[in-house]
Amino acid sequence: MEILVCVKQVPDDSVKIGLNSSGKPAVDGVTMVANAFDTYALEMATRLKEANEGTITVVAIGPEKAKDALKSCLAVGASKAYIVNEDGLGDMDSLTTGYTLSKAVAKIEELNGAKFDIIFCGKETTDCTTGMVGAQLAERLGIGCVTGIVDIELKDGGISVKQETEEGYNVVETSLPAVVTVNKPAYDPRYPTMKSKMAARKIPIGEISKADLGVEDDKIVPSVKVISLSEPPKKQAGVKINEKTFEDTMAKAMEILKDAKVF
Amino acid sequence: MYILDEEGKDLLSTVKEFCEKEVKEQCKEYDVSGEWAEEMYQKAGEMGLNAIEVPEEYGGIGISRTTYAALYEEMAKADAGFFTTMAVTNLTLKPLIIGKRDDLAQKAADILINGGYGAFCLTEPMAGSDASNNKTTAIKKDGKYVLNGRKCFITNGGIADFYIVTAMTDKEKGVKGMSAFYVEKGTPGLSVGNEENKMGIRTSNTTDVVFEDMEIPEDCLIGKEGDGFKIAMQTLDMARAVMGIGAVGVAQRCIDEAVAYSKQRVTFGQPIGKFQAIQFMLADMEIKTETARQMSLHALKLQDEGLPYAKESAIAKCYAGDIAVEVALDAIQILGGYGYSREYPVEKLLRDAKIFQIYEGTNQIQRTVISRAVMGKF
Repeated sequence: MEILVCVKQVPDDSVKIGLNSSGKPAVDGVTMVANAFDTYALEMATRLKEANEGTITVVAIGPEKAKDALKSCLAVGASKAYIVNEDGLGDMDSLTTGYTLSKAVAKIEELNGAKFDIIFCGKETTDCTTGMVGAQLAERLGIGCVTGIVDIELKDGGISVKQETEEGYNVVETSLPAVVTVNKPAYDPRYPTMKSKMAARKIPIGEISKADLGVEDDKIVPSVKVISLSEPPKKQAGVKINEKTFEDTMAKAMEILKDAKVF
Repeated sequence: MYILDEEGKDLLSTVKEFCEKEVKEQCKEYDVSGEWAEEMYQKAGEMGLNAIEVPEEYGGIGISRTTYAALYEEMAKADAGFFTTMAVTNLTLKPLIIGKRDDLAQKAADILINGGYGAFCLTEPMAGSDASNNKTTAIKKDGKYVLNGRKCFITNGGIADFYIVTAMTDKEKGVKGMSAFYVEKGTPGLSVGNEENKMGIRTSNTTDVVFEDMEIPEDCLIGKEGDGFKIAMQTLDMARAVMGIGAVGVAQRCIDEAVAYSKQRVTFGQPIGKFQAIQFMLADMEIKTETARQMSLHALKLQDEGLPYAKESAIAKCYAGDIAVEVALDAIQILGGYGYSREYPVEKLLRDAKIFQIYEGTNQIQRTVISRAVMGKF
C-alpha cells in the first residue's frame, strides 16, 4: 500500500505569537515544527502501515528550512520525503495549496512509479486553521475525501474510518484511492528513537520545483486576500464578587448579569 | 554551553522534548512514592536512552562524548534519578570493553539497545570508599565460579538484566585478588535484597544484591583473575565526568527555577530579580554551574583525545557535586519559604544534588585521587 502524508511546517503552536511592527505575525526566532494535526496523520498512517504493509511518503510545500519537518517525519514512520520548493508559487491560499499539492501528488507518483492508495492530511494547520486543503486536494484529484477522522482500518479493499462529530462519530467506508483528514486520535504520536533520528538525517529528500510541477500560472493566483491581521483582544479583568454569604454572592452575580442585559 | 554538530542538536531537541513531556512532571509523583516509574522508563528504553553510550561497533549510535553529555544534562535537569538510572546502565558496558570481552560486551549492548538495564556491583556494607575491602568471594570449582556475598547501594539492583560483580578470587592478595564477573539476571543463587528508601534520586532503583552459592560459568570472568579492582577503577574514572554532568543538570535546573521565580515574585514593589542581592546570587550560581559543565566536558574531551583523564574526571565530579549542593541551597534561599515547601520543585533538587557528593566515589575520595595526582609519590 502506498501512503502519502501531506505536512506543513508551522511555528511551534505552544508559543504565543503576536504581530510585529509591520503587522505580520512575529515568528522570528520561534521554532518551526511539523503541524500537530499532520503528526497525528503520520502516526495514524504509520500504525496502518505497521498493521498491514506499505510505504509512507511525506511531502511539504515550503522553504528549504521545511526539510527539518520532513526529517522529523522520516524518524517516525515515513521512508521517503519530497519538498516542493515554494519559490515562484507566491502567496498561497487553501485553493492554490490544494491545486499545487495535487500537482505534487502526480509528480511524486510519476517519480515513485506507483499511485497512492491513501493520502493523509491533518484536518487543519495550527497556523492558518482553514481546514480546507485536504478537501481541495481530493477535489483536484477527483477522488473521495473523509474529513476529521480519528481511526482507520482497511476493509474490503477500501477503508473504514471513524469520523468525529459533535455528538460522537460516524463510521464511513470508502473505496480507494481517497484522501482523509485527521483529527486528534486517542493516542499520541510516537517519539523518534535515537537511532531512527540519526538514520532519518541520512535519507535524501527529493526536491520538486515549480517547473517540475507544471502548474498553470493562472491557477496559483490566490482568491483570498488578507486585508489585515489583528491580535485577539486582551482578556478584560473580571469582576470579583465576594459577599459575606453565598446567597448574597449569588444575588450580586444575578444583578450584574441583569445589568449587562444577559437575560 | 555545548558545541554540537547538527546531528547532536537534533538528538538534543528530541531528548529535551521527551524529558519535558514525559519525565519532569511525572517524577514529582514518583519522588513522593519512591515507586518505579514503569511507563516512563519503558518509553525511555524504546527511545534508546539506555544505550546512548553504546559504540557503533556494538550496534549502538556511536555519538561523541560531548553529545551524550548534552543529552545527559537534559535528563538530569528533568530528574536526577532518571539520569542516574540511564547513566549507570550505560556505565555497565565499560568494564566489558575495558576487560576486552567483546562477546559479553555485545551481549550487554544488545540488552541495553533493547531497553534493558545493567547494574554495577562493587560496593559492599564494609567496602564503599575502601572498595578493596570486598568480602564477596568467588571460588573456582569444577570449571565454574561459586559466588557468595552481599552487595549494597546497587543502582538498578532490582531491575537489571545483567550485573557486573566484583568478588575476591584470592583474599590473600588484597586488591590484586579481586576479579570481575558478568552475571545474568535469573542466575540461581542471585537475589535482590532490601530496596533503599533514599533521600533523593528516588526515581532510581537502589537495592542490595545477594549471592548465595551462585554458580556461574568460568567464562563469565572479565579479563583475568585479579583484574577486577583495576577494571572497576578504570570504569569509575571514565564514568566520573558523566556524573559531573548529572550534577550540572541539577544545578542548571536550580538556576532555571530561581530565575523564573525572581522575575515573577514581587517584593517592595518590584520583582526580586531587580535587586542586586538576587542578581549576584544568580550570577554566582551560573559561574559555578558553567565552570562545572566545562570541566566535565574537558575531562570527556581528554578521553576523546586518548590523553590521561583520571585527575580531570575527579576534579569534574568533585567540583560539580559540591556546587550542585551549593546552587540548590541558593535556589531554596531565593524562593524563601516556598523553596522550603514541597509544593515547589527546589527542595527536591537539594535532596537530589546531595548524592553527587557521595556516589561513584565520595568527594573525599575524589580529593584523594586529585592530591595523589598533584603530589605524586614521596
